[in-house]
Amino acid sequence: MSTSTIDRKLLDELREILGADGIVSRATELKVYECDGWTVEKSAPDVLLLPRSTAQLSAILAALHRRGIAFVPRGAGTGLSGGCLSLNAPAMICTSKMNRILEIDFDNRRVEAESGVVNLHVTNAVKSKGYFYAPDPSSQVACTIGGNIAENSGGPHTLKYGVTTNHVLALEVVLPDGEVVELGGPAEERCGYDLVGAVVGAEGTAGIVTRATLKLMREPENHRTLLAAFPDADTATRAVSMIIASGIVPAALEMMDQLIIRAVEEAFNVGLPLDAGAVLIIELEGLEAGLTTYADEVAKTANLAGASSVRLARDEAERALLWKARKRAFGAVGRLAPNYATQDGVVPRTCLPRILRVIAEVSRRYDLRIGNVFHAGDGNLHPIILYDEREPDQVRRAIDAGREILKACIDMGGSLTGEHGIGVEKLGEMPLMFSPDDLRVMTELRHVFDPMERSNPGKVIPQPGACVEVAAPRRQVPI
Amino acid sequence: MAATTSSNLPNRLDSIVGTDRVRPPTDTEARAADTIVEPVSVEEICEIVRMCEADRIALAPIGAARSLAGIRRSPVALGISMARLARIVAYEPDDMTIVAESGITVGKLNAAMAGARQRLPVDPCSPGMTTLGSLIGAAHAGPLRLSEGTSRDLLIGVRFVGHGGNLVHGGGRVVKTVAGYDLMKLMGGAFGTLGIVTEATFRVCPTPSDYCLAVVPYARAADAFAAACILNDALPLSNLDILSPALATGFHSTSQFLLLAGFSGNPLEVGDQAERIRDLVSARGEILSGDGALRSYELLRDIDFHSAPLAAQIAVPPASLARVLEACGNDTEFRAHAGSGVAQIIMAGERSVEAPARTIARWREAARPARGNLRLIAAAPAIRNSLEFFDTPNAGALALMRRLKAAFDPAGIFNPGCFVGGI
Repeated sequence: MSTSTIDRKLLDELREILGADGIVSRATELKVYECDGWTVEKSAPDVLLLPRSTAQLSAILAALHRRGIAFVPRGAGTGLSGGCLSLNAPAMICTSKMNRILEIDFDNRRVEAESGVVNLHVTNAVKSKGYFYAPDPSSQVACTIGGNIAENSGGPHTLKYGVTTNHVLALEVVLPDGEVVELGGPAEERCGYDLVGAVVGAEGTAGIVTRATLKLMREPENHRTLLAAFPDADTATRAVSMIIASGIVPAALEMMDQLIIRAVEEAFNVGLPLDAGAVLIIELEGLEAGLTTYADEVAKTANLAGASSVRLARDEAERALLWKARKRAFGAVGRLAPNYATQDGVVPRTCLPRILRVIAEVSRRYDLRIGNVFHAGDGNLHPIILYDEREPDQVRRAIDAGREILKACIDMGGSLTGEHGIGVEKLGEMPLMFSPDDLRVMTELRHVFDPMERSNPGKVIPQPGACVEVAAPRRQVPI
Repeated sequence: MAATTSSNLPNRLDSIVGTDRVRPPTDTEARAADTIVEPVSVEEICEIVRMCEADRIALAPIGAARSLAGIRRSPVALGISMARLARIVAYEPDDMTIVAESGITVGKLNAAMAGARQRLPVDPCSPGMTTLGSLIGAAHAGPLRLSEGTSRDLLIGVRFVGHGGNLVHGGGRVVKTVAGYDLMKLMGGAFGTLGIVTEATFRVCPTPSDYCLAVVPYARAADAFAAACILNDALPLSNLDILSPALATGFHSTSQFLLLAGFSGNPLEVGDQAERIRDLVSARGEILSGDGALRSYELLRDIDFHSAPLAAQIAVPPASLARVLEACGNDTEFRAHAGSGVAQIIMAGERSVEAPARTIARWREAARPARGNLRLIAAAPAIRNSLEFFDTPNAGALALMRRLKAAFDPAGIFNPGCFVGGI
């Protein structure tokens, strides 16, 4: 990586565009931006740029374009796959100051927001009228809409509502040469190719999204949230299949294993059963009239599958507590080891018992603790591999263990990632899932937006020789 | 630019697929393609594409040929019928996913899942004729788009033959995957201009145990839309549609606008919704249940816009739909998916082919202030040469689309000349 590409003249030009408070170039300050939630690899940019408007962002991209300098977009840095790791990109462009909600249109159930708006702030802005924005990643108190769009983020409730791409209608994108384009529109049908669909999930390789038109959903009339405890993970995952097979699709169906239950209890004391081998959080939603029947059926199925107890959240406070436990599980795990790496493989739901046995076996063989807290309803795993980055051998084992788990997911007909993206973490595994022809066509698509590969270089599609140092210890990113 | 014909094409195809699978087109197909080939394997398609690229022969994938027959100004040289690539590749009910070749119809796919009480909840006109290839390529959807989304939301994996005759895949076979670029979105609504979809993986869902349909007549369109707005706000409906009088005749004897609100769930949910609909939009209409509800829903779903002399689909933000349809004029008949902001429109009676360009200009003019768009579904052959079938996207987006087309189809053979901006 070159540091000479950003010279004083360019810095002056960028400062002119952004103002003194829109640019960070001191090495000590840039340390903060050396990684996201994937802390295994680290690499700080040479300069951080903080535009406040599309016009500013377009001007800085044009300036970088004139000099052929690559850049990496960043939202809040909560990603879990190293998507905003600066990889041969001297300039990092952070959208956090573009954080205005521009328009709320309740009649059409649309919100127009700048890309630096925090995910949860969208729902907070509309919930008084009974609406919400559906994608709800665990990091939703911090992560940005732009980051969600880049990674096509999900969350527990995507079992019912789908991932980010199902909720984005239009985008304003600044292409790598500084050109501003409008893609999609406020109508549900599009005119021409679905370029919005191509940009969502492109992990920042198609330019930088500055504005998005998002769909809002109507709050369901009511919820039933159940906590089912099981003697072991195997029984819990079999219950997942039985619930789905009964024809009921919950809004969310989440699992936590024993290691996670204990970590969460220690951190938050929410009353999870400490003697359980695994728990499921099952949320049903819809019209009040039908909910009791569905909840009874789910409880009956869970009991039939071997649940040791099934508890219904008595009120909104208890429901909120259960979700707090689930969404802060990653944070709780932070207390168990100096570092952890969260994986995101997906298997067909019916393969859940098998993959959990593989994970347990990998844990034993690599002598690493691995916790599981994941979206069981859609087979989307999140094994959390605990390690200590001060011990290089542990880091290596953590990486190898993760790769072995991902390979097992693919062997079962699954995917490398359900919602975190490829980033740098899973680059090496892409050929397990895609043929050279697949990857060539994806590269052709990338070049439509970014012919010189200057927007977030080295991501999504593996390239020989592109790797960063597996890094020196710094900090754990809060999730 | 692709050559439109190749005189010895049938002979050349014989060497790839044999003589019995190259044939002249049927009447409908003849508007889409001059010669039809029926490959039985993906490898044959790959070879055909390579041959066509070498000789610059224009081709297009064909299901029932309704979509392309409605909009091509002149036929392509070669239609690739997907009729013999119509197998279900994998179906695992407990995973709620299905993998199938693109020549199978939505109707057959759903019949195969009926035993497990599951379905692909995308409901194009006549599912028994609509192949998966057409569902994806022409972005067909029906009344259920309100509650279930469209094929865009449910397509989780795709295989297609792209340039160079290479078989390419995107996505996966699990309900959730974000690995790699989203090639599924590119194929959706691309009308076969980027490659030939050979296989699709969908997430499917349980078929609700009960379905009812409220049918309520209104003298004025505005009142029907106002009622639809109230219902959509209050209930999680399955579908919510409004028919103009001429299209409503199959449902109701009076010449009125008709609101059709479908709702589903377990018996308690359905009972509750029926009661609330009666409260909200008066007791003037009727609520159908059981087979009666399903028959009426199918009638609504299967209104055939493909055979109309002039038909278009208009899409606007939902709250603007009533105003936009009014601006289209009294002589415009419509089926409006009220909660989605999408409507199919035709000209009433004999006036349908008079001054079609002016009619379409009026429709486009109506959609523009609402930042919507319009595309033609069908136009009679005699009038179609003078018509623009798609709106033109803004200059920046169109430039990207042209680059995409050039990257995915460098020889310009995939259904050329009938998509946006002449792509």
